[in-house]
Amino acid sequence: MRNLTGVPTFSALLIFTCITLGQPDIDNLVHSLDQLYRSDNSYTEMTMHIVTPHWERTLTMKAWSEGTDRTFIRILSPAREAGMATLRMGTEMWNYLPNTGSTVRVPPSMMAGSWMGSDITNNDIVKEVTYEADYTFEYTSDTSFTGTPQDGIIYLKLVPKASAAVVWSSIICAVRIDDSLPLWQHFFDQHGELIKTVTFSDNRELGGRTIPTVMEVVPANKEGHSTTITWSNAEFDQGVDEDIFSLSNLQSGGTD
Amino acid sequence: MLWKMARRNILRQKRRTILTLLTMTGGFVLSSLAIGWMDGSYSSIILFFTNRRTGQIQVHGEGYLANPTLYNTIDDYEAIGTLIDSMPDVRTWAPRIYCGALLAVRPHSESSTGIFSNSAGASVIGIDPSLESEATSFQDRIVEGVMLTNSGADTYLSSTGSILLGKELALTLEASVGDSLILLSQAANGAEADKRYVVTGIVSTGNPQVDGKTCYVTLDDAQTLFALEGRIHEIAVMSHSLGDVDGLTGRISEALDGKGLETNSWKTFASEFYNGMQADESSLKVMIFIIVLVAAMGVLNTILMMVLERRREFGVMKAMGTRPGFIVRMIVLEANIMGLMAIVFGCILSTAGLLFLSNHGIVIDPPMEYGGTVMREMIATITPDCYLIPTLCVIMTASLVSWIPALKAAHTKAAKALRTV
Repeated sequence: MRNLTGVPTFSALLIFTCITLGQPDIDNLVHSLDQLYRSDNSYTEMTMHIVTPHWERTLTMKAWSEGTDRTFIRILSPAREAGMATLRMGTEMWNYLPNTGSTVRVPPSMMAGSWMGSDITNNDIVKEVTYEADYTFEYTSDTSFTGTPQDGIIYLKLVPKASAAVVWSSIICAVRIDDSLPLWQHFFDQHGELIKTVTFSDNRELGGRTIPTVMEVVPANKEGHSTTITWSNAEFDQGVDEDIFSLSNLQSGGTD
Repeated sequence: MLWKMARRNILRQKRRTILTLLTMTGGFVLSSLAIGWMDGSYSSIILFFTNRRTGQIQVHGEGYLANPTLYNTIDDYEAIGTLIDSMPDVRTWAPRIYCGALLAVRPHSESSTGIFSNSAGASVIGIDPSLESEATSFQDRIVEGVMLTNSGADTYLSSTGSILLGKELALTLEASVGDSLILLSQAANGAEADKRYVVTGIVSTGNPQVDGKTCYVTLDDAQTLFALEGRIHEIAVMSHSLGDVDGLTGRISEALDGKGLETNSWKTFASEFYNGMQADESSLKVMIFIIVLVAAMGVLNTILMMVLERRREFGVMKAMGTRPGFIVRMIVLEANIMGLMAIVFGCILSTAGLLFLSNHGIVIDPPMEYGGTVMREMIATITPDCYLIPTLCVIMTASLVSWIPALKAAHTKAAKALRTV
């Protein structure tokens, strides 16, 4: 979180602005968006439902994360993929393939590729970037991006800094003012064209905090494609065994 | 009267006639050989390129060329292939499957950790080893190791398959023949497609860009791996000659009407190569134009000399009351008769020359490379253009060029011409 305590005048001004406009503190809000599913460390169970014009499938999985740079995902079903796992440490990413008993490093050139055939890319999984550190952000009321403004919703415009290697040039995020939970995110390219829409729904308490338990990703340029992730279980800040994020665990094939 | 005079004039001064004929025939033969050689060398490059890589005609699912996807397939391809194969002018055909994948090789230094960390994205091409060898002589491009075989064991996902790597791809992966490799992709049913392979050979097509991102597995193997049983993406058709291609494309397209397939000739699917060839061809056409122009200048020169030589003669004709129009017509007719004779001689000489050049090509040393296609010899072909274009040029030159001296002769002042010796 940005430390503004050293600038009391600015803080006072900011608080005053927020109170006047009925807007939550933008830094807090962005921080809460960053921490939504992640926290300092987390363990989650989820299903991923992928729809394409040619096939439809559901994968169940468990995932562990620590900080922004370590993630481990193990596929539980369907049978053909069961035991497959993805380990990410920093910018490195490996996939374990039980069918061939091998671990494959994902090269940088494949990071923009789809993860498990979904509309989520390897980059999305690897993403070390946080809105807080790698984006500039402001509230926006530009209706060409936000659509008709709704009561109780605040709209954020997030613009990636030059250091953030992402394919979009801005994100418009609709957030509920009362609980700071996101409703949707629209990703735009440099021409202002919509790339993808992420919608959040079914806010429920999981792991001691209220989160949207359903997240749907719909790419704008691929008709008939969507990926829906549904969280069924979550634990936040309960501590994660260090050994989870290791190549030996990756190659264990699902005995974790 | 006009005919008689023109004929007599031609026969009267044999040396002059022979000189003019030589210039015209020379122009004809030069243009004819240039066209034959140009057509021949371009046909060779195109045939060479299409025979070794793409085929002259390709059949795909409708829209595949514009937007190639794993799902746009040709069903019942064996029946279609047999149908195409039975058509006259078709030499052979080859089915193919295309899919992107991640390839990973275990570095030799880290073999104990078991991690396949040398990885790269690649395009996987599923080929029928025997049909592909027949169609494109694929086996000749294996620079190390051996060709794929239609082994039943390869088609089980659990077994270890055989894979050929492009030369530059093998360098990127630091893989050599005998190395184990993991292929990871996604099947047409959405499932993860991963399989272990042994590198059985290294392929060099001569195009590093292609070889840097291409690997080959057997068609059966690719069908199992990508869940495309009984389906393929492409049928490459090899025709006997380039001349048949447009007509054959139409006939195949007609035969496959209503099957949701599209048939294209190399001009469409290898449009970049085609446009490159067209651009080069235009520059050669300029060269031929210059050759024709030089020949035309020669003809103009000889006819002009002929008119100057005969100034006195025209003076006499004018003095005897011949009309200027008659003189013009006579000179143009003389030029045209000589033009026709030049065409006859030219045709005979060109045919001899073209026949020689089409049998004994000119060896290019060092060999020329064009888009990964290596040419070692340029040979000429005999096409109607080799005769048509020079014929038109000679007739037009003879008619147009002779007008200038003819007009000059017609306006000869009788008294002045007779005074000069």
